[in-house]
Amino acid sequence: MNSFELVVPETAEEAVAALQALAPGEAAPIAGGTDLLIDVDEGRVAPRRVISLRRLPWKTLDWNAGALTVGSTLPLRSLEEDPQVRVSYPGLYQAVRAVGSVALRHRATLGGNLVRSAPASDLVPVLLSLDAEVDLVGPSGDRRVPVDRFVQASRRTDLRPGELVRSVYLPEARPSAFLWQRVRPSNDISQVAVAVAFSPAQRRWKVAVGGVTPRPTLLPEASDVLGSGRPTSSEVRRASEIAASRAAFVTDRRASEEYRRHLVATLLERAVGSAVNGGRFPA
Amino acid sequence: MSGAVRPDAVVKLAGTAVYGMDLDVPGMLWAALVPAPIAHGRIVSVDLRAARALPGVTVIGADDLARLLGPGERDAERPLFPHEEIVYRNQPIAAVAAPSEAEARAAVALVRVEVDPLPIVADLETRFPEWPGSEADAAPEIAAHVRARHGDVEAEFRGADRVVRETYRTASVHQVALEPHACVAEIRGDVWYVRTSTQSPFGVREDTASLLGIPETSIVVDGTWVGGGFGGKGSSFLEPYALLLARATGRPVRLALGYRDEFRLGRTTLPAVIRMETAVKDGRIRARRVRLLLDVGTSLPGRDFATGYSIGFLLGPYRTEAFEVEGYAVRTHKPPFGPHRAPFAPQCAFAVESHLDHVARELNLDPEEFRASHLWREGDTTPLGQPVGPFGIFAAFERARATARAWRAESPPGHGVGVACGFWSTSTGAGGEVRLRLSGDRLVVHEGSREIGSGSVLGGLTAVACRVTGLPRERVAIEYSDTSKAPFDSGVFGSRTLGALGHAVEEAAVALRRTLAERLGARGQADLSVDRGEIFAEAGGHRASVGSLVTAEERTAGGILAEGRHFASPRAIDESRVLQGSFYAYTDFTGGAHVAEVSVDPATGAVRVERYAAFHDAGVVVDPGAAQAQVEGGVAMGLGAALTEEAIWSEDGRLENAGLLDYRIPTLGEIPPMTVEFLEGFAGAGPFGAKGLGEPPIVPVPATVAIAVREACGAHATELPLSAERVARALKLL
Repeated sequence: MNSFELVVPETAEEAVAALQALAPGEAAPIAGGTDLLIDVDEGRVAPRRVISLRRLPWKTLDWNAGALTVGSTLPLRSLEEDPQVRVSYPGLYQAVRAVGSVALRHRATLGGNLVRSAPASDLVPVLLSLDAEVDLVGPSGDRRVPVDRFVQASRRTDLRPGELVRSVYLPEARPSAFLWQRVRPSNDISQVAVAVAFSPAQRRWKVAVGGVTPRPTLLPEASDVLGSGRPTSSEVRRASEIAASRAAFVTDRRASEEYRRHLVATLLERAVGSAVNGGRFPA
Repeated sequence: MSGAVRPDAVVKLAGTAVYGMDLDVPGMLWAALVPAPIAHGRIVSVDLRAARALPGVTVIGADDLARLLGPGERDAERPLFPHEEIVYRNQPIAAVAAPSEAEARAAVALVRVEVDPLPIVADLETRFPEWPGSEADAAPEIAAHVRARHGDVEAEFRGADRVVRETYRTASVHQVALEPHACVAEIRGDVWYVRTSTQSPFGVREDTASLLGIPETSIVVDGTWVGGGFGGKGSSFLEPYALLLARATGRPVRLALGYRDEFRLGRTTLPAVIRMETAVKDGRIRARRVRLLLDVGTSLPGRDFATGYSIGFLLGPYRTEAFEVEGYAVRTHKPPFGPHRAPFAPQCAFAVESHLDHVARELNLDPEEFRASHLWREGDTTPLGQPVGPFGIFAAFERARATARAWRAESPPGHGVGVACGFWSTSTGAGGEVRLRLSGDRLVVHEGSREIGSGSVLGGLTAVACRVTGLPRERVAIEYSDTSKAPFDSGVFGSRTLGALGHAVEEAAVALRRTLAERLGARGQADLSVDRGEIFAEAGGHRASVGSLVTAEERTAGGILAEGRHFASPRAIDESRVLQGSFYAYTDFTGGAHVAEVSVDPATGAVRVERYAAFHDAGVVVDPGAAQAQVEGGVAMGLGAALTEEAIWSEDGRLENAGLLDYRIPTLGEIPPMTVEFLEGFAGAGPFGAKGLGEPPIVPVPATVAIAVREACGAHATELPLSAERVARALKLL
């Protein structure tokens, strides 16, 4: 592993300044480091300076009338162990539980997962289905960006030079579900991940998939077919067919395109059932 | 060892055990191998100049060998660096040594290799879309061709009620030892000295001598603690390169693989295609035809063995009156084939058990009863005419069936319970010797292999010494040393340590007891005991402290010496049944039968193993805790081969999933609750009737899981591993 300078700022301003002082790529922020350090170890990135976010007051979980703000450096394990998350955001709870191992979740963070923007992220599909937004701090002030705009492509985000993810905002508790399939159930990358959520405020469904396309994606056509409440079984089947027929599925060594389509359809049907029957589904 | 602390636990947990990867010698250089950029091609040029221009960097290639090694004759079939032709991707074409790992990597990147690509043989079935015929013997890709037969196979097939034909495919699997290959070499005067993580210091010495073309007596190999071998560390690999660089630089040189290179360069078990044909009449197997196409990569040594040894497993532990077997070792542009715990037996058992299960289903017979009624019994001979001897495979199978019946009675819908068996041979066919030294307070067992984590040396050999002498464990120590001082041993492989070296320990310990009795003026063997820290010997009514029985001369040489040797006893097969190539006799038959309960997701094909039971004939169990751990570990490893492990090779000979992210071994989350039971009463040739147990537990696992999957959902998957996608296809979901 190449050596680097470790900087541990006390405030967001210091962190932004430390980041900004070097050219992009020369400095890398680190929270849990579960993904970044693999890239450093394998020589894909070689930052001169690594900026630890561990002293920033961002390991938070704030509730406000059903909306939830998750601090970007909160370990995923804390999110998973919060009893209210499990009730209000079952899809998020299920997705967090799907990430790596317990040991890894003690380190890995929601912010890190977003900025690393892995194509097979288990968290991004859920955040898409929940209409999550990303709160950023940076040299030209704070801004809020929907996850759908923030995550652009594999390893590419809307993060501007000097910017850091401070928190993730989830606007409302939603009946939701997250299902996945992997070559190996434990500690693996999903071949297919499906997230569904029903927005009581908008009275509409959101369906997102991961592991299937080069970037986790919302499927608005499938969402629309599910209607404005409890869908009928034929609506669910129709939504599954639409989801499975999307064009951009990949074939790789984890699964063939054909099998991925089959899995998307199967998991989507199950996920909708789980969201509807998981309690708290509005009448 | 139940309830006791493993003898190696403390040093390993404390981190004081020095593995090959941990070796750090003052003044040491870091080495790296320059990988071939393509899988097959003619070398136009290898330009080392830019790499050599780096400060402190030494680079050696094919042209430097004569200068560094002298005129000795080197193994021409296995050149250390290719002169003209590259035969697999990442084949070492040069080696570098540098002051740091980063500088070594930088030097590797500066080597310029120009190659004219040649067409490659990447895959068995692309090369041989039809089964190879007799003309194939002349094909350059055929590395070995073996054939055997017995009885009137054609007539039996013609007269059969039913003939069932199937094709099975198995995947390339890697040993995944936690510690990659690693060594440190240095030249000490005339001695080429290397410390290495190996299953066989003497094997490394012999192989390195042949590769370098220097006498074995010039080479000294010292083993380190070994972070797992599983067959991958049985012969030399990195050692010749490290020694060459040490020679070229005059400095100690460390050469170790990163984990991805461990996959790319390591000696894996490669894919195979297996065809099975069975002729049945009146519910009995009348004849079988079994054919094997085995990918052996660029292997040269052991190519006969790969097929000739494996192929016996394809007939399974079943009575077969008339048979025909044929195997081809096919050379492809992959790295050399290597042994993986019970090399190829789990794959063979998968095909045999799945096939005979399928045959019975096709005939509406009870699949377990069908197999049980054909299983070997004591007094039977193998298809190749070898006596089976005391072997509890039938007893194990019956125990497994009883367990399966009980599980089936309580298993929910969507679950399936499968039973399969498998056999292995304890390779006591390799010799070795030990020295015992008894002093006033301690018995030292001096031997030439290392504990590799299986417990066979520190647990097994100690247990044998204790059992023969009556001394408690804390009075018995295992001593290792390098090959210049240690007694010869073939190595820790082939489930042989307890059977072969244990036998030598037994012999030496008996000799020691006789010597003590003599010195007490008695006949027979003295009994040993410990009294207030001192060892006493007693025979014929006389008793004395061992300290008082050791002569003054012996005291200067560590105590009373006794030696024991194990010689491989030649076993025979009926050569009249062999038509072509070499077939191998097995030694002590060992093995068992397993039961798996699985659940299968009917919509996705995903398999989960819910619980597992293993029944083994291990002869007489010498160390119950270690024995149970061996079975649990073997089953865990077998579950990987059954469900997730598969090295994937691309059409251009690239290993696509090098590393543990995309090559998936089971985690604790995939290991089901497991019970292990030993069937005693089938004495083996080892001490007290022990048989080896390192490899047998992996053998039945893929077959057991496959049959359980079929029981659960009807999916008859004929390709390993049984990924969810393959099961989904077998269920016609896709």
